[in-house]
Amino acid sequence: MTHDSPVHRLGAGWKLALGTLLSALAVGARTPGELLALVTVTLVYYFAARLTPFDLWRDTRFFVFQAVLIIGLYCLLKGGDKGLWPGFRQSAQIILFYIPGAVLLRTTRTGDMMRGLRRIVPYRLSFLVFVSIRFVPFFLRELDEIMTAQRLRGARLLPRQLVDPRNWGDLFHCLLLPLMVRALKTAEEVSLSAEAREFGARQQRTFYDVSRQAGQAATAHLKQNTVPPCSHMGPEAGKGLL
Amino acid sequence: MSSDVLTINSLAYTYPGASTPALTDVSCSIGNGEFICLTGDSGCGKTTLLLAIKGLLRGGSYSDAITITVPPSDDGWSTPVGLVFQNAESQILCTTVAEEVAFGPENLCTPPEEIALRVRESLQAVGLDDCETRHVERFSAGQKQRLTIASTLSMKPGLLLLDEPTSQLDGKGKRDLCELLTGFKSQGYTIIMAEHDPRPFTNIIDRYLPIAGGRIGTSTSTMPDSGRYAANIAATTESVAEAEPEVAIEVQELCVSYPETGVALQRVSLKVMRGELIHLFGSNGAGKSSLLRCLTGLETPDSGTVELAGITDPHPEHLPGKVGVLFQNPSRQLFAESVYEEVAFALRRMGASTQEIKRVVAEALTLCGIGHLAERAPLTLSFGEQHRVALAAVVAPKPLVLLLDEPFAGLDFPQRLTLLAILGEMPGRYGTTVVIASHDELPDQAWADRTLHLRGGHLDETGH
Repeated sequence: MTHDSPVHRLGAGWKLALGTLLSALAVGARTPGELLALVTVTLVYYFAARLTPFDLWRDTRFFVFQAVLIIGLYCLLKGGDKGLWPGFRQSAQIILFYIPGAVLLRTTRTGDMMRGLRRIVPYRLSFLVFVSIRFVPFFLRELDEIMTAQRLRGARLLPRQLVDPRNWGDLFHCLLLPLMVRALKTAEEVSLSAEAREFGARQQRTFYDVSRQAGQAATAHLKQNTVPPCSHMGPEAGKGLL
Repeated sequence: MSSDVLTINSLAYTYPGASTPALTDVSCSIGNGEFICLTGDSGCGKTTLLLAIKGLLRGGSYSDAITITVPPSDDGWSTPVGLVFQNAESQILCTTVAEEVAFGPENLCTPPEEIALRVRESLQAVGLDDCETRHVERFSAGQKQRLTIASTLSMKPGLLLLDEPTSQLDGKGKRDLCELLTGFKSQGYTIIMAEHDPRPFTNIIDRYLPIAGGRIGTSTSTMPDSGRYAANIAATTESVAEAEPEVAIEVQELCVSYPETGVALQRVSLKVMRGELIHLFGSNGAGKSSLLRCLTGLETPDSGTVELAGITDPHPEHLPGKVGVLFQNPSRQLFAESVYEEVAFALRRMGASTQEIKRVVAEALTLCGIGHLAERAPLTLSFGEQHRVALAAVVAPKPLVLLLDEPFAGLDFPQRLTLLAILGEMPGRYGTTVVIASHDELPDQAWADRTLHLRGGHLDETGH
């Protein structure tokens, strides 16, 4: 990671725990006071990671789009007065649920994340969880590009257009369907890539700690230019086994 | 070239549910240290053969006829065959460079101190030294391609397979990759590269193995069918630019910058007349996409003005029918149940009558050579066919301006020529102005009326 902050230095396990807690609180928040307090705490956590308002916009812009749809639907079903607050609350809850995950993703290395997860679940499963999160930005970009292509063909996908139920068909056919196709295709490519690099071929795997090993390797490289042949795993290797 | 590393005897494979085999009676042998190019058009079976060699084909009907004689390492911390896929974007699984390169050795249970050395050596081999802690998201397409190669090298493969490694690279990226592979060859690596256009690598390729329809042809030391690359389709194009000197695109003093990457476009001015054929050429990151996004109103410039198809400061919602845009990956815009419905979508949105839609769709399908696919589901078609469906969908409304962003990606040479031929008919038929933005040279240099070079945010006109 090129950036550094107190949140970057926090262990992946702590960030997972904190993120889970904040997301759980987001689900449980009901009153305006609770929601306001949670917004404050979440934003403090976000900006403590030295992320910028521009980053925040990039992380949440699609949820803003979703929020317009949700609020519109609530107002439509329950009327403007009764539907506004529940619609706003649910939209805010979704955004607040997601932000801790975005912080985790932006501030945690793959290895740290898998090391945190492997204490709870087998390494194959921890990798699956990580890859699912790792590709969130990729799919947000895909979503953006699909929406762009479809809008230019005449699809009605702007938030203000989606307030009209007659345009919801476009949301499914022009946006969600191509996104699902892309997701399946990408999942296949990711799985092949992992398999080509022998992922899952053995019962266990070693773990390379970037921050610790980089320095040691440099020193070792200076001492000897060739890698000694190793016929068995030494005691150091065992330390890294997942 | 002492002994064979790979021997294949009468290999056949049929994908699950497919009626025809993807590979039929494939036999060949590859010597130690050879650089082999598997060449053939899209869908001929190149990728399937590489997957078969790597042992990644699942299900289907398969005759196991592959013998790999790479001596196994004593410690088991290496892989006999390493495969680098075409799409670097979905191949990179980790967030930082070092983690990505370490991923393979970790799976082979390599001790961490050995992994550290391999990470360093592999990154050095591809010229990415000192990038260990960098985030992969910030890498260029060329750097990502190098990273995927390093991630495979770190597993110490005896045989290196590369699947269309240049597909996302611009001219410089291709030259750099060629230099890199030249180095690998001199170090004794055995390499099999699948590539539909092997021209950048002719100096290092020992043998060509042509594939067509899943069958492998006779091995040659010279590039097969090299005459195809001299094709000239310019004679079929006709321009109406002189007949109707109407301005189709006018850009004045356009400036765009981003918080993270800085200036993308700097005081770009441009005037394109109706019916002109324009090639907007530039390397990855030169600003082509930014310019197209500004033209279509998807991006608001810092300063400057845009007029497109008579619309000042265009907005995406105002463009359907007047401006067509074709993006790189056609599957992003296909959703309908049939090709006919896909092409008719924009026309329905424009309020055309059923009779009019029938007539115009038939015309667009004929122009793009896919009339026989009208009832097929777009998502079940091959990449090349999907590309033509997407093209027909944007061509059908007979736009005044047609913008294409990297339209050659994933297409083989004949498909590229066909695309140019279709686009070349647009000015004559509809008076359409066509702008192709790409990092590739055009398959036929004579196609464009003008070539505009984007370099570092500046636009230069070179003509032809």
